[in-house]
Amino acid sequence: MEQMQTQELISALADGQLRGDAFARGVELAASDPAARDAWQTYHLIGDVLRSGELAVGSSAPTVFLQRLQRRLQEEQPGMPRAPAVEAAAAPVHEEAANDGSFRWKVVAGFASVAAVAAVVWSLVGGAPDKPVSPELAKAPAGTVLSPGERGVMIRSPQLDELLAAHRQLGGASALQMSSGLVRNATFEGSGR
Amino acid sequence: MLVERTVAGDHKAYELLVLKYQRRIERLIGRMVRDVDLVEDIAQETFIRAYRALSQFRGEAQFYTWLYRIAVNTAKKALVDLKRDPLVSETTLRGSGDDEDETSAVENELTSAETPETVLAAKEIAATVNSAMEALPDELRQAVTLREIDGLSYEEIAEVMNCPIGTVRSRIFRAREAISAKVKPMLENQSGKRW
Repeated sequence: MEQMQTQELISALADGQLRGDAFARGVELAASDPAARDAWQTYHLIGDVLRSGELAVGSSAPTVFLQRLQRRLQEEQPGMPRAPAVEAAAAPVHEEAANDGSFRWKVVAGFASVAAVAAVVWSLVGGAPDKPVSPELAKAPAGTVLSPGERGVMIRSPQLDELLAAHRQLGGASALQMSSGLVRNATFEGSGR
Repeated sequence: MLVERTVAGDHKAYELLVLKYQRRIERLIGRMVRDVDLVEDIAQETFIRAYRALSQFRGEAQFYTWLYRIAVNTAKKALVDLKRDPLVSETTLRGSGDDEDETSAVENELTSAETPETVLAAKEIAATVNSAMEALPDELRQAVTLREIDGLSYEEIAEVMNCPIGTVRSRIFRAREAISAKVKPMLENQSGKRW
């Protein structure tokens, strides 16, 4: 067997007649040596044509077909060593998202999300003070005195008193010439009545 | 042996199997599908599926018989998928009923891969191989015929021809080389070397 030249080794390999080291050597040659691979293809073509003339032409070139299949098999088993060209073609391409440039928007959105979550948690946990749910009515400003009178509670505010003192000639019934109870309740004379 | 090597993880062995059976598998698929690109795609898928399932191959049947069934199933599945695609024209498809025997197609009918040029090239290659066979010395022609046509092993051929196994191996090799010398120039002239 050792004396067999390369092509004869491939011929015997094509017939399945090699064993042991000779078989391993034949496979290695047919897979790596272009001339040996060419012989492998041609010998099988001759056999196919002798059995059926219609097999003389295939649908695609064997080398192209095999290269395509190799790429797919490499995808099946990522651990397999790849040819440089295949590796370059299969290298992952980092594609930027459309909003990658606007990083600040991501920060803003993040803070907004955190704030929203914090607000919800705060209200759920009970951090908000216990207050009556009823709506809060208008408050009298500071310094306001509520003085009870025969016509009800009168609002006495220092600012209002000063304003009415400065414009007392306009206030009261003499100025309005008509009954205006509500206004008179807040007139300067009100406190003396 | 090649199958065993492939199952053991030898990718080179599987590549040799692919090169050995590609033509036959494409021919088989070409009888079911008209589109030439689809034939190659289905052939690719066939070898991928076979590779995935190699560990399940028990060796009870011949490897090609097993591969043949995978190819037929892959082609049928592809045809079913194509029929669901409204964009696929009828001419892309060929009869693919379950009860149809794919191997019973008319011999002279063009398959997807065949154009008048490829048919002519195939006929020329076949004629060249046959004429080269006729030109061989008797002992070489008999040896290669017993091997390729009758499928005998080297031991059986040695018994028939009453010569050592080494002589059988040498005669078959010389016969192949003589035929190859006539055929190779034609193959190299083929556009894209589709052979």
